[in-house]
Amino acid sequence: MRIELVAHTPDVEAMVAVSMLTTTSGAQPSTLHERLLANPVKVGEVVGRLEVQHGNVLEHNRLVWLVEATRDEALDVMLDTRFLTFTGLGGDRWLMSGNLRAVAEYASRKETEFTRRLVDSLREAAPTIHAFIRRGAG
Amino acid sequence: MKARLLAHTPLALLREASGGLDAESLQPHLGYTFAVERISRACSHQLVRHRVASFSQQSQRYITVKRLQERVVMPPSVEKAGGAEFKELVGEASEAYQLLVDKGVPKEDARFVLPNAAETSLLMTMDGRSLFHFFGLRCCNRAQWEIRALADAMLKEARDAEPEVFDAAGPYCYQLGYCPEGRFTCGRMQEALDRYRA
Repeated sequence: MRIELVAHTPDVEAMVAVSMLTTTSGAQPSTLHERLLANPVKVGEVVGRLEVQHGNVLEHNRLVWLVEATRDEALDVMLDTRFLTFTGLGGDRWLMSGNLRAVAEYASRKETEFTRRLVDSLREAAPTIHAFIRRGAG
Repeated sequence: MKARLLAHTPLALLREASGGLDAESLQPHLGYTFAVERISRACSHQLVRHRVASFSQQSQRYITVKRLQERVVMPPSVEKAGGAEFKELVGEASEAYQLLVDKGVPKEDARFVLPNAAETSLLMTMDGRSLFHFFGLRCCNRAQWEIRALADAMLKEARDAEPEVFDAAGPYCYQLGYCPEGRFTCGRMQEALDRYRA
């Protein structure tokens, strides 16, 4: 089974930070977004406090993977979680998408080769959240 | 009211990765995150009925409502009727809220006296297919004026960002070529088609 992250919402962690601050700040979300895009250090600080937040702050993004898997392997994942969407591309190739919450919750529930690779695929796009999920998954 | 598309997954990347799937097939894999600002709580109640979407909304548990009179949405019909009763009630609600907060009542309880007209802002994320459905329902002439204005503003942002995906989006009569509202139809389908034609 092979998993490759091929596209995602730009500046994923900045969007997580915007979401975290939107609920408790009087500032408008678009203003928070502008400020945080210009301040990656602040993004790291805010996202670093992730454990005290609701899971829905991880939903404001879309990640898309190219998956090479047999029909049985893909079906196993589909039956495990309804929050990852699949489109067959022919043969053993699939387009799969979901958000960070889907990945985090799936990985915390089930430790398999697939979930390990799924989490590892986040290393560059969302390094703080990647580390957070890895810690959670133990 | 303001709607701004903050981020989306680019269609071009997905098309390349999928070996050339068309925009419609890729819709469920496309994600769109909007900043929705200064709408009424009445409008946000309608918005969250689209439960496949994700929301992060300003919380009245944490944010103190100051100058409520300047932070309300007044419907045009109320304004047309003079708006005196509306303004009076908002003034009273504002005063009651502040008195409760001053007496040490937590904001999460003091907010019970705030009206549906109180402004709120939020982040909203939807996949492409669900967004089409949202536009189908909420750009419709039968939708309530505020959420229709919001849907129109969001559609404009989406069309500016990905015209290939969203030029076909609009109220269901525009998407389908017929009105699915049956006996509730507004009877102004041609007007809608002209308005939403890309």
